[in-house]
Amino acid sequence: MTIDMSQFYEVFFDEAEELLAEAERLLLSIDIESPDTEELNAIFRAAHSIKGGAATFGFMDMTEITHVLENLLDKIRKNEMALTAEHVDAFLAAKDVLKMEVDGHRLATEVDQEQVADVKMMLKQLSEAGGVVIKPAKTAPAPETSPVIAAPVVEAPKPVDPVIAAVPDDGLTRFNIVLPEVTEKDMNNLKEELGLLGDVESSQNESNRYVFKLTTDSTQADIISICSFVLDPDDLVITVNAAVSAPAVTAEAIPAVVEVAGFGLFEDDVKPAAVNAPASTSGVKIHEEVGYGLFAEEGKESVEEGYGFFAPFVPHKDAVVANLIGDDTVATEANSGKAELVKAAAAKSAADTAASEATDRRNQGRRESDKAPASAESSSIRVGIEKVDQLINLVGELVITQAMIEQRISQLDPVQHEPLINSVGQLTRNTRDLQESVMSIRMMPMDFVFSRFPRMVRDLAAKLGKKVEFVTVGATTELDKGLIERIVDPLTHLVRNSVDHGIETPEGRRAAGKAETGTLTLSAAHKGGSIVIEVTDDGAGLSRDKLLAKAAKNGLPVSESMSDTDVFNLIFAPGFSTAEVVTDVSGRGVGMDVVKRNITAMNGVVEIRSALGFGTTISIALPLTLAILDGMSVSLGNSIYVIPLNLIVETLQPRAEDIKTVTGEGRMVHVRGEYLPIIALHSLFNHPTEITDPTQGVLVLLESDGKKSALFVDRLVGQQQVVIKSLETNYRKVPGVSGATIMGDGCVALILDVSAIIQMGQTTNYLTGAPPFSHYQKAQPIENQVIPKELTK
Amino acid sequence: MSTENVSRPNNSAPSSVKLRNAAGEYLTFVLGEEQYGLEILKVQEIRGYDAVTQIANTPEFIKGVVNLRGKIVPIVDLRIKFHLGKVEYDEFTVVIILNLNGRVVGIVVDGVSDVMALKEEQIREVPSLVSNIDTKYIVGLASVEEQMFILVDIEQLMSSQEMELMDSLAVH
Repeated sequence: MTIDMSQFYEVFFDEAEELLAEAERLLLSIDIESPDTEELNAIFRAAHSIKGGAATFGFMDMTEITHVLENLLDKIRKNEMALTAEHVDAFLAAKDVLKMEVDGHRLATEVDQEQVADVKMMLKQLSEAGGVVIKPAKTAPAPETSPVIAAPVVEAPKPVDPVIAAVPDDGLTRFNIVLPEVTEKDMNNLKEELGLLGDVESSQNESNRYVFKLTTDSTQADIISICSFVLDPDDLVITVNAAVSAPAVTAEAIPAVVEVAGFGLFEDDVKPAAVNAPASTSGVKIHEEVGYGLFAEEGKESVEEGYGFFAPFVPHKDAVVANLIGDDTVATEANSGKAELVKAAAAKSAADTAASEATDRRNQGRRESDKAPASAESSSIRVGIEKVDQLINLVGELVITQAMIEQRISQLDPVQHEPLINSVGQLTRNTRDLQESVMSIRMMPMDFVFSRFPRMVRDLAAKLGKKVEFVTVGATTELDKGLIERIVDPLTHLVRNSVDHGIETPEGRRAAGKAETGTLTLSAAHKGGSIVIEVTDDGAGLSRDKLLAKAAKNGLPVSESMSDTDVFNLIFAPGFSTAEVVTDVSGRGVGMDVVKRNITAMNGVVEIRSALGFGTTISIALPLTLAILDGMSVSLGNSIYVIPLNLIVETLQPRAEDIKTVTGEGRMVHVRGEYLPIIALHSLFNHPTEITDPTQGVLVLLESDGKKSALFVDRLVGQQQVVIKSLETNYRKVPGVSGATIMGDGCVALILDVSAIIQMGQTTNYLTGAPPFSHYQKAQPIENQVIPKELTK
Repeated sequence: MSTENVSRPNNSAPSSVKLRNAAGEYLTFVLGEEQYGLEILKVQEIRGYDAVTQIANTPEFIKGVVNLRGKIVPIVDLRIKFHLGKVEYDEFTVVIILNLNGRVVGIVVDGVSDVMALKEEQIREVPSLVSNIDTKYIVGLASVEEQMFILVDIEQLMSSQEMELMDSLAVH
């Protein structure tokens, strides 16, 4: 086979990652007491698929570990071993290692070989712990690592012969290793090396090849790795034999398989020996045709994966004997009696058909479960994100155009233009539907984020000696892909914080009269135009006193009279370590200030609710998408500006007596006990307007980064959804402006960058009156005539 | 674009190097008393002056941004920038929409005159201090029928820091 496999690597990596994620999900949800067979099978299949792929692409490290993993899984799913928590841990560890190896191959990241070895050892021990029973997988892969094994029966370029040895005793496996043509020196070297693993006997077979008989407790993988120093492992034929006492069940499966596979040569009562020989031969043949690494173990699994079809290479007493005759004899025997079989096997298509037939018949139940993902795959297409974005942009244009038409239409006489108005109404509906559908392309269920937490919580809880039950609610809630990706880090931090600092130790919880197991809930729900994600724990809650004390120590301006919300928001202050406040465990990763900043960058809002002793909820409200913003348009002079609605606390028209000056320069507004600085947009933007008295305009109370300010604008225009356009595409970043949008009348409105504006307002030193910008005009004198009127939003 | 003379040997003066590729079609426009030319391939379209949305804290010559079929496009008034011509906006005010390496920018000029193909021999090197525009943004001078056209390297000019159209460390 000379096909360049590397072009398929990416597919394999993607698939492997998906399978690993799936396996992890299943492992975490599995009920250890009474595991669902179907779930176990699914995990097994995942491991198996990875193994198959890894072998195909020659990632032997992955093959090795999945192989051991598979052994253990196989025993468990066959009820030969009871599933324990220990197993699950080992599986999860194996998953991590595999992930690491995938990354190692894909991104050339470092693979911790020690960890790999540890996990392998752990799996092996577990596998052997219950090892009263046979080791099906270990005995399995006759030609696993040898992609070119040609049985002489068929047009074989290289007559290499499966040689089967037998008799494993006490954890030892006997391997028969048929070497390709090597020099005697190499052979001796190799023999020495292998001697380190166990007892080696060497001999020469008829075709002048050296054959080692190695009795060892090492795995085949070890042998391969040793041999690969001297020769190409692909040329190596290693056969294994274990249990002489292979269960009758497996042996019986052979004739069935062969028959179903359509070879039609054997009667049901055919002797296992006979069956085994040709069956394995045919397997080998197909294997050669396909050129993939293959696994004879359990036969049907291989079939399912479609890597080639073989009858199970299950050792049976008779089979062993037959095989021990060895070398060409087996093949010859197969050949002589079963010419037809060979023909059938030689045709790959025939074999494939047979394989699928066989699979279908034998495994209908399992097949069904396999079908689900398969059909899901075929019903979706992979499209580059930029294509989707382009589509979204175009639809955005369409929405704007439609809004423009609608506005024009509204000025027409409804009686005279009724048909036109009706048509435009239809256009409006269609446009809205179209926009929704297009937007939904980018939507992904929150499950993408949530699914990574059970594992994290589990590990973290185990590490901290806490008992945590992890609950997710609303995992199907959909969110824009861009946001999904950006919410992961903040959420990770919040979840970690909750486990680390929020939930108490079992003792602590008992002392507090709570159940030992804490509950951590991650929920997502649509509320209005945004999605609300909440991390809730029933832990200790935030201590107001501790927070205040800590804040005072840090020199933050705090007072006893601050509202709970303000006190809780202190944890978002940069450099304010939650760890020191809430517990003595030091925090890790990004700080809460980064969490807050990330979420604000997504036009989101964070809110903390907490009751001491009862737990904490951190609530994140995000817009559904980055491309569309719920905005409040305000006017200033002849311009319109858009303020993100989620950052507006309220709007009001102040009474004259609520406006205070600070040393005659800066102005503050008194709102329900709070004094907020007034930022006059016209001064800040140096924008001419006739309204310079706050009592005649409108104050929009903004909150960002925990800071509140009152933005003074002329008037409110209305609330609407706007499509965000970047100013930077053709222009550059403008301070205080986060982007632009196109209004219904086709003109451009700028979207205010609230946090920048609050900052710009604060850099104005109200005490000295020093402006932040050279053009900043001094605050206007106050006139106090207008009758107060409060606009509540 | 005619490129037959591209390989003309030349001395190593920077403006001469510029001259080498200067031949081609130019859109000529008027700023004040002077005739200017810019490479026609940089021009996306020519349109009238629409109401712009002003941007806070920008130099006076950046008029603001307009909606050009869904794109937000900044408009620069070259008359203000180079102190040329009468700055007034009416139905005759012309905006040349340029597409400079994917960035779309509009420039306001006094008027657009013609499109002309210039051969290399028509283009001269620029003596220092010939106009309000820094000579480093001028490709050369072309004289056609007693008229002189100042050929502007519009891409260089618009991406220069003094235009403050693009983000850079120096501009902010």
